[in-house]
Amino acid sequence: MSVSSAAPGGHQLALNVHLRDDATLDNFLATESVAPLLPQLRQQLEPCGEPVIFLHGAGGSGKSHLLQASCHLAGEGALYLPLAELLDHPPDAVLADMENLALVCLDDLQAVAGDETWEQALFHFFNRARAAGCRLLLAADAAPRHLAVQLADLRSRLGWGIVYHLPDSDDEHKCRVLAFRAGRRGLQLPPEVARFIVVRAPRALPELLDILALLDRHSLAEQRALTVPFVKRVLDW
Amino acid sequence: MLTLFAPNRFIKDFVANKFSGRIHELVREIEGDHAPDVVLQIGSRPQTADSAAHIAPAATQSAPSGAGGFALEPVERASGPVLSRSASQGSYERRAPTSPANSHRAEPAVAHQPGLSGSFTFDSFVEGKSNQLALAAARQVAENPGSAYNPLFLYGGVGLGKTHLMHAVGNALRAQKPDAKVVYLHSERFVADMVKALQLNAINEFKRYYRSVDALLIDDIQFFAKKDRSQEEFFHTFNALLEGGQQMILTCDRYPKELDGLEERLKSRFGWGLTVAVEPPELETRVAILMNKANQARIELPPDSAFFIAQRIRSNVRELEGALKRVIASAHFTGKPVDIDLIKESLKDLLALQDKQVSLDNIQRTVAEYYKIKVADLMSRRRSRSVARPRQVAMTLAKELTNHSLPEIGDSFGGRDHTTVLHACRKIKELRETSSDIREDYKNLLRSLTT
Repeated sequence: MSVSSAAPGGHQLALNVHLRDDATLDNFLATESVAPLLPQLRQQLEPCGEPVIFLHGAGGSGKSHLLQASCHLAGEGALYLPLAELLDHPPDAVLADMENLALVCLDDLQAVAGDETWEQALFHFFNRARAAGCRLLLAADAAPRHLAVQLADLRSRLGWGIVYHLPDSDDEHKCRVLAFRAGRRGLQLPPEVARFIVVRAPRALPELLDILALLDRHSLAEQRALTVPFVKRVLDW
Repeated sequence: MLTLFAPNRFIKDFVANKFSGRIHELVREIEGDHAPDVVLQIGSRPQTADSAAHIAPAATQSAPSGAGGFALEPVERASGPVLSRSASQGSYERRAPTSPANSHRAEPAVAHQPGLSGSFTFDSFVEGKSNQLALAAARQVAENPGSAYNPLFLYGGVGLGKTHLMHAVGNALRAQKPDAKVVYLHSERFVADMVKALQLNAINEFKRYYRSVDALLIDDIQFFAKKDRSQEEFFHTFNALLEGGQQMILTCDRYPKELDGLEERLKSRFGWGLTVAVEPPELETRVAILMNKANQARIELPPDSAFFIAQRIRSNVRELEGALKRVIASAHFTGKPVDIDLIKESLKDLLALQDKQVSLDNIQRTVAEYYKIKVADLMSRRRSRSVARPRQVAMTLAKELTNHSLPEIGDSFGGRDHTTVLHACRKIKELRETSSDIREDYKNLLRSLTT
């Protein structure tokens, strides 16, 4: 979530708890089909912005990254809620008065699909959000019509704005993402090293990026360039 | 002192439990020995010029809609009503009248905030066979509120335009009489307000508020089901409004008699006015809706492109609009004009989901819909040109697009002979060379059947 405070002298201090600091829209490497989404996310809080944007795709396709990045961008008045982690809490309490925020990002909607109490609470929250002009950025592992949502009214509202599918990353895209993110860290990642990592490491992109962070730290500490032998040694492969 | 604001109690407690240690740690790290006390509060920071500028775009804007139009200030953010939710606390409270003009009144003022979306008007409503009855009824009500049909009860599936029509009446009423007290709300809001009024011992204000309107528009009344106390209260409100000749418009996702958990006396009263269904839009209306939306977005949408989208997205208007928005976003992003290639590219995932196998059944449905005849007509013995020509087109497409044998194809068209199919194919081939209409029809159908 994003909490902020007014420190003496009008100086603002923003504490971002629970959000990955490295989740920004700038460091998201979009595939061609998703590229038009990024300007829409940037503009979502503008008067012309979309009231509801729904992203779906498999794990590791970048949904959480984009939700958290939007939350960062919006700053104060934005909230990121991973529903999978909130499943056991009373939905009415979780969603109470959320419509007074500028942007609410709800991740892992599939986690609450089929849960009657959650579905009703979300439906009513959507209506309140719409009336109050609160923008919604939603993510799930399937498109609205393929989610196991029982409440038809809710399902139709999920697809109210625009729905984007984030495609699975293939190995080639993962290599490109790694090189891109390495570049943003000021690291040179030669293509053969990227391929070396991608074919050996766990398949999910978040884990690949964790590996990149680890390599970055070691490379900085040892003042070494990223080469296959270096990667082998650091990762003990 | 450092104050952290949470939007509700849950988040406040959540942060207090999970993050307070980390927050204190960070504050000490940043501020050193002079670290301020940290306080968690529900609400939002009092708006400074600085923060107002930050929040303003979202907070002050009106309820957004697919059309991106302007709407009146929603109830939640209004100041003044005696019974209102405070924007920061979200609580239902009695408020002292704020303006001097109100303060001398003996009774607390009951201000009515319409909560209407300005973009939902009759002008922006696309008429079609599926909704023309409901539209006509709504227009009648707008012209003769309280007398034409009271209540007007609109029912039908999601995303078909019930809410749009309801707002359109409200907006028309306000246009005729700007001080008309028109209140639109979702049924859940009525329930929530009532519950809070009961808690705060303010049920009389609640009653006065809802009974002093000129028109009360309640959306999705199916959510009253099984809420007995709310139904009771609504029943009395309903009677009071009906007696007073004040207009009511209600929407529901199904026919009132089929609503479980709703009192019989309410169901029967809903039928006192006019009950009218809104059906899913047929192809022609879907095309018209797309053209209308494209026009509003000032984007050129060629008719064959509109047809292409409308043919594939059949479920409801919301999905149709969502698809068009993505196409428009792609067009803006790539700088390309909208055409079928761009649509295929930008809606790849959506079309893949919607894409059905090209089957005989599908061809027959698509052709029948295109020519606005029934699938049964294609199977029938009728030989009038209005039926025979589409049948021939469908047979030709079936030969072209499926691997079925000619006897199989003939059989699927009401048990016809394979020579009939052959004849149809020859005829259509010939007509495609001589008639531009048939050429165009065939091209459109072929396109819409093959992604």
